[in-house]
Amino acid sequence: MQTDTQAVRVWDLPTRLFHWSLVASFATAFLTAESEKLRDVHVLAGYSLAGLIAFRLLWGFVGGAHARFADFLPTPRKVFDYLTSLMNGEPQHYVGHNPAGAVAIFALLGLGLVAAASGWAVYEDMGGHFMEELHEVAANGMMAVVVIHIAGVIVSSWLHRENLVKAMVTGWKNIRNENPAG
Amino acid sequence: MMRSTPFMETDMRHISILAALLIAAGGAHAESPRDFLTRFEKEAGAAASPERGARFFTTKQSGEWSCASCHTDKPTQVGRHAKTDKAITALAPVANAERFTDAAKVDKWFRRNCNDTLSRLCTAQEKADVMGWLLSLK
Repeated sequence: MQTDTQAVRVWDLPTRLFHWSLVASFATAFLTAESEKLRDVHVLAGYSLAGLIAFRLLWGFVGGAHARFADFLPTPRKVFDYLTSLMNGEPQHYVGHNPAGAVAIFALLGLGLVAAASGWAVYEDMGGHFMEELHEVAANGMMAVVVIHIAGVIVSSWLHRENLVKAMVTGWKNIRNENPAG
Repeated sequence: MMRSTPFMETDMRHISILAALLIAAGGAHAESPRDFLTRFEKEAGAAASPERGARFFTTKQSGEWSCASCHTDKPTQVGRHAKTDKAITALAPVANAERFTDAAKVDKWFRRNCNDTLSRLCTAQEKADVMGWLLSLK
């Protein structure tokens, strides 16, 4: 019913700009990974990614309500309960990040830092073969998390009948009063 | 002492099995530059031509870079990255013992650098020719 929904401001502008800039910088870095001709573009994308993550770590403490880490710290119990509720077809509803999404966020922030730091070291000829491997493992790990994250967004959007992609663009969600968890 | 001996023997056995596995794993990796020449010639079904390899290496094929753009036309010397200006260790095995000793690395860099210089993968014959030339350098 239309009357049961309520428009809620969920994602502040810096959070949304961060999200899509991170998408752009990671995609650029990933696509230019194998090219020596585009090595400068790849390095620039890596620095951008590192800067964006540094901003997000700060914003996780001083940003808008749903952007703060305290708002979505995923405990194993919360993640388990959320995933169980998905399986049972009665998904717990979170206004902000759900616990599965929160795991993806922390994984991406951590792997992003490792990828950027190891990439810098490789570029400065430090750490040898090990550093190259670490850089590739971190970047491929990020891509794996991105794939799972996108799958999760599609599944959650469908189960909750809300367009999560649109929310990350506009900042607004239409909240229905269903099975609220946070 | 009597008690600890069987444990120590078990430990020793485990350690030697582990060591054997590590050596086997390392041995599967460690290859010599000649192994790559043999492999590429076998894949190409023809012998390498060092002269053709030299030409291929030092002249632009279809893009704006040749191999020599970074590795110079004297690969026994240190090269210079055409984009970043960073030093690249010598490519010729005679000048750099670390080159062409790891199949994963060799395949990775042929894939990347052939795409940069030719916008395609190199053929086995092209790789055999280049290996033949690099191995002929003194």
